Amino acid sequence: MKRIFASGNMAVAEGAITAGLKFFAGYPITPSSEIFEYLAEKLPKLGGIVLQMEDEIASINAIIGASWAGAKSMTATSGPGLSLMAEGIGLAVMLETPIVVVNVMRAGPSTGVPTKTSQSDVLQARWLSHGDYIIPCYAPWNVQEAYDLTIKAFNTAEILRTPVMVLMDQVIAHMWEPLTIYEPGEVEIASRKTPPPGLVPYPYGPSDDLVPPMPVFGRGHKVIAESLTHDERGYYAPRNEDYRALIKRLILKVLKRLDYIYEHETRLCEDAEVLLVSYGSTARTVNVVTRELRRQGVNAGFLRLKTLWPLDEEKIRRSCSAKKVIVVENNAGKVFMDIDRVFKDREVYPAPVLSLELPTPKEVLEAVKAWL
Amino acid sequence: MPYSDAEILAPSSGLLIQRSNNKFRVNVIVDRCKECGICIALCPTRVLVKSNTLFNRYGFRPPEPLYIEKCIGCRLCEYSCPDFALFVEKVSSG
Amino acid sequence: MAVTTHIHPLDKYLRVERLPTIYCPGCGIGIAIGAIVRALDRRIGEGVVDLDKVIWVTGIGCSARTVFYPKVDGAHVLHGRAIPFALGAVLANPELMAIVVGGDGDIAGIGGNHLIHAARRNADMIVVMITNFVYAMTGGQVAPTTPKGVRTTTTPYGNPEYPMNTIKLVASLNANYVARASVTTPHYIEQFFYKALGMKGFRFIEVVSTCPEIYGRHIGLRDPLEMFLELKKRVKYKPKPAIEEAEIDWEKGIIVGEFIERNNPSLLDIIRGVGK
Repeated sequence: MKRIFASGNMAVAEGAITAGLKFFAGYPITPSSEIFEYLAEKLPKLGGIVLQMEDEIASINAIIGASWAGAKSMTATSGPGLSLMAEGIGLAVMLETPIVVVNVMRAGPSTGVPTKTSQSDVLQARWLSHGDYIIPCYAPWNVQEAYDLTIKAFNTAEILRTPVMVLMDQVIAHMWEPLTIYEPGEVEIASRKTPPPGLVPYPYGPSDDLVPPMPVFGRGHKVIAESLTHDERGYYAPRNEDYRALIKRLILKVLKRLDYIYEHETRLCEDAEVLLVSYGSTARTVNVVTRELRRQGVNAGFLRLKTLWPLDEEKIRRSCSAKKVIVVENNAGKVFMDIDRVFKDREVYPAPVLSLELPTPKEVLEAVKAWL
Repeated sequence: MPYSDAEILAPSSGLLIQRSNNKFRVNVIVDRCKECGICIALCPTRVLVKSNTLFNRYGFRPPEPLYIEKCIGCRLCEYSCPDFALFVEKVSSG
Repeated sequence: MAVTTHIHPLDKYLRVERLPTIYCPGCGIGIAIGAIVRALDRRIGEGVVDLDKVIWVTGIGCSARTVFYPKVDGAHVLHGRAIPFALGAVLANPELMAIVVGGDGDIAGIGGNHLIHAARRNADMIVVMITNFVYAMTGGQVAPTTPKGVRTTTTPYGNPEYPMNTIKLVASLNANYVARASVTTPHYIEQFFYKALGMKGFRFIEVVSTCPEIYGRHIGLRDPLEMFLELKKRVKYKPKPAIEEAEIDWEKGIIVGEFIERNNPSLLDIIRGVGK
């Protein structure tokens, strides 16, 4: 392992390299371009390909094609670019393609403020494309986590044959902190199961973990990667039985591994009477505010979500017995809606702190105290 | 009967009409035909006619190589059929 | 339990359990599939093409459903996005040979931007654009190639716009091979595709096709045979035609032939040199 001084964007790039990234296609967009530029220099030397495409739509389609050709692939973008990738994300879901999409969140809506932060895309990451599906989303809160969660994103994508999103606030993307980089043997790297070479007559057929082995191109599998609703052979099947079976499998294959996907962190929760919930960069401020509240005599606890979707609602409920829950986020109040639903029997309040830069402890304290 | 040497290959494949002259054999896979009429019109020696009596599984009338003695083996019918319903083979001269 | 027997000589390359095709009687798409498969068969016999490495990538539309039929690795992706998908696949695994098939609306309309940049890069793929001048699968809406004045479902008072000429567009970029054939000239489709299989870089073949149910209905040629014969009358082969002759004019005629043929370095040629 190695210790370097790196930014969040560099950490994501290094995490991808450690995980085995071989193909990156992207389009420049502030604040994620550094991931692209860093990989454009480093990845070819490691035998990978980095290509600038004509737009984000080409980028997402190219990485799906590359994944079907056998390469671990990724793209990085921000809000406006992710909006363009909507159809492509749906394609990755339907074709069951492992890809990683990094969204460095910036202020919106629309062009917004390209160089400043926000957390307003956290629901877009879940529901961006049409149709029924579940996409795992991870939200790092420091540079080391940007590295670690990118590796986890690749592993999740490969194990479950699904697109995975990494949601990193612009603040984390551009912040520099010490980073420990692992050699491949020092950290677990997962790769998709593939069938033995030759014909695969039922490529979307049943398997124990609901994830069929991926019949990549070029090995004589003669499989169609089909975006129409399909049966087990991959042939168009506009019939109820096939449609229901497919949707059920696409959703259950993710939910079955909820224990692996879902992570959160708790601090000072054992005797807490007020629980502060946050994630990403805002959680850094909420961490400080929790301790400040304790100093002021309030028994505050802190729950930080590392996985923004899917949520292990049972685990969240068991995390803390506080009767009052305040959700602090840098948007108009989004994850609040989930927490409100999860803690049905308690008082849940939103504390949206809209800030183009990292919210200050003063701002967050004011927003939280309004509910105390 | 215009297709005296028709054969039933397998129940699900349906009928195959085969007629040969001493050089070429014209085959029509009956259930694949969609009665577009292109092969009949393009044949330079007018070998094919639309069947009057045979309807395939989908209700289309396939061509019959009625004037097989005129076939010159150009395979224009085979190349112009959009449905892989027609093919011409060389018959080994006996 | 159906017994799938191979009867037709091309059946060994087809998913025969999916025949007959979904195409309307008289639709030219099946002719194009046959010609492409015959060219592949010849190249496989010569050892130039490995069928296991062929990927057939399509977008959305009637022409895109060609992916259902050949027994090769395939991908039925998004409308207009077959070209970037194929680009990613071929770059990630240079052994793959990508055949992209789509309609004029898919490739030159919504996929126009990707067509332009793949041609510019001389990306390694063969693109077959089957032109029927209309968006047929969705019922007959106007397309970027629809001639001016034609009544379609979205231009009920006659198309007010001039069409684009895709051959001219692609020829102006860096493509290695730009040709046009027609379903009334199946031997040329096969010849041009056979030649393309022996080249590298961006190879583009437009196949002008019949569409009696939809476009034929718009222009008064509803009968499959009538539309085929009318198209056949207007198609004329020229060896090495000039780009100016690529104009598609239903009155003056449609020239088929090979407009551009060259051997510029392809995207894979160039990228393989980077970083070493």
